[in-house]
Amino acid sequence: MKQTKKEKKLLLPQETHSHLKEKVRKQTDELKIKNAQLQKGVDREKLADDQIHILTKAVESVLDGVFVVDAKTPDFPIIYANSSFYSLTGYTKKEILGKNYFLLCGFDVNERVSEEIKQILFQGKPYHGEIANLKKNGEKFSSLLRMAPIRDIQGEITHYVGIKTDITLMKEKDLEIENQREEILHVTRVGKLAEFVSSLAHEISQPLTSILSYAQAAQRIFAGREPQLQEILQYIVNDDHRAVEVIRRLRTLLKKSKPTFEPLDINTLITDTANLMMAHITARNKIIKLKLDDPLPMIQGDRIQLQQVILNLISNSLEAMEASRESRELMVETSLQGAGMILVEVKDSGCGIPLENMNKLFTHFFTSKPDGLGMGLSISRSIVEAHGGCLEAKNNPDGGATFYFTLPVNMKQDL
Amino acid sequence: MKNNSAMIYVVDDDNSVCRSTALLLQSNGFKVETFTTAEDFLAFKHSKVASCLVLDIRLPNINGFALQNIIAERGMVIPIIFITGHGNIPMSVKAMKAGAIDFLPKPFTEKKLVDAIVLAIAKSKIHNKQQDEIAKIKRRVDTLSVRELEVFRFVAQGMLNKQIAFKRGTAIQTIKVHRSRVMHKMQAKTVTELIHFARKAGLVSL
Repeated sequence: MKQTKKEKKLLLPQETHSHLKEKVRKQTDELKIKNAQLQKGVDREKLADDQIHILTKAVESVLDGVFVVDAKTPDFPIIYANSSFYSLTGYTKKEILGKNYFLLCGFDVNERVSEEIKQILFQGKPYHGEIANLKKNGEKFSSLLRMAPIRDIQGEITHYVGIKTDITLMKEKDLEIENQREEILHVTRVGKLAEFVSSLAHEISQPLTSILSYAQAAQRIFAGREPQLQEILQYIVNDDHRAVEVIRRLRTLLKKSKPTFEPLDINTLITDTANLMMAHITARNKIIKLKLDDPLPMIQGDRIQLQQVILNLISNSLEAMEASRESRELMVETSLQGAGMILVEVKDSGCGIPLENMNKLFTHFFTSKPDGLGMGLSISRSIVEAHGGCLEAKNNPDGGATFYFTLPVNMKQDL
Repeated sequence: MKNNSAMIYVVDDDNSVCRSTALLLQSNGFKVETFTTAEDFLAFKHSKVASCLVLDIRLPNINGFALQNIIAERGMVIPIIFITGHGNIPMSVKAMKAGAIDFLPKPFTEKKLVDAIVLAIAKSKIHNKQQDEIAKIKRRVDTLSVRELEVFRFVAQGMLNKQIAFKRGTAIQTIKVHRSRVMHKMQAKTVTELIHFARKAGLVSL
């Protein structure tokens, strides 16, 4: 603007009046336009300033750690980090700025993970993954890391922006659920094996009994005669005992651990078990509904064993509904019956139980599944019976089947 | 062997177990009858000789424990030896509490089975002897007249002759006559023995 004014002064003596007037008018107009243009520029700048201000505020307010890394320098220095990043890692602003991001966050051993991330970023692609990190105080935490390149107008990568989310709690919860499920599955597997061996032992002990008795009868009949036969008979008796001993040891090895009885709330137990199976249920596109009579008196029982029963009934129901797309709903219901009994019902909308299978349902080795062992229901029934209840099944009038069991109310709870 | 009069019943759903157990017991001089179901055993006409039952727990329909209950309900007295390939401690406790002689896990040795059977037969014999004695006493009671039976009851309750006479409104001499006839017919040498007979015959409560 100043320069234009100077120009005006220089021109002044050489021009005629009218010409001069015309020129002044023209220049004034020009000035007006330029002024307006300048004003526009200022406004735009002000707008941009506002925008930057809001963006900075927004980034600072985000609960995830946000950071920017200079891409032009080989050691990935952090040039910006928001306050969540500080609280997440435990470092102060001074300690962070200019530091190599990968070294700072103490990645997994061998820098394998950081190298992998760098490779992806160098290719100009964004990275997304879960990583284990260390805080300043050495404490471990799991984080979800997303990093993406920032490009200038020419398309060259100048920076990387990263978002870091603390997922430690989520991970721990997942792990806890996984562990619980694993525990029940383990108990179930051991239980199945024990039941299997026990049944096998019974089946084998029958012929072993006969063999032993035949041999002993023969020994008696030929007593004092046929020494060679006597010797053979003795070998048969000895080997029979050896076989019995093998079975006996196997049974002792797999002896079911003694149930530990404690006061339990059946509703909590069902809710917990349903949560354990939620992923399983959702993956099959089914829905579980809980209709729990609350409050219910406490029962006396073994948590793991009863969870095993509930788990078993729910998975059976899921399998019964597997084939059909329409049958989706699974219902677990609790209610208080007279005579101090609690009733637990697991209703499905599946294919129901064929009448000819009804009587065999709870017997060992009976299964309608191609890969089933036929132990689940018989074990479940023996668990429920050990708790003083009974487990039964029926077909629903409107399709599907209901497995239901009773458990006696814990009478000692008021003492 | 002096087991020839005793009868051993074997109930096991496994034919081979029945056959081999029978063979083993026969070689020990016992008489044996085998059954593969509880129903068959119940349908069998039992003789009055000393007997015992070698019983498997796992049986179709009526299992061993259920048969034990039925036997008790019917008032049959047969000592039971359980045999099982699937036994555990609670089961054996249950069986023994219900009066079983023994609980043998399969396979059992000859010695264990025979020992248990000898014990069972001895019990059965004692029981039979008691039953015989009771039957004998009851037969004697049946020979008493109405009046004599009445006096017998009073004596068994510990009443003196004059008390009975007062209660009956008869002469003490008459009571004495009845009483001596009762002693004679019951073949009792002393009053103590007479009271003992009365108890056995169920005329007075213990």
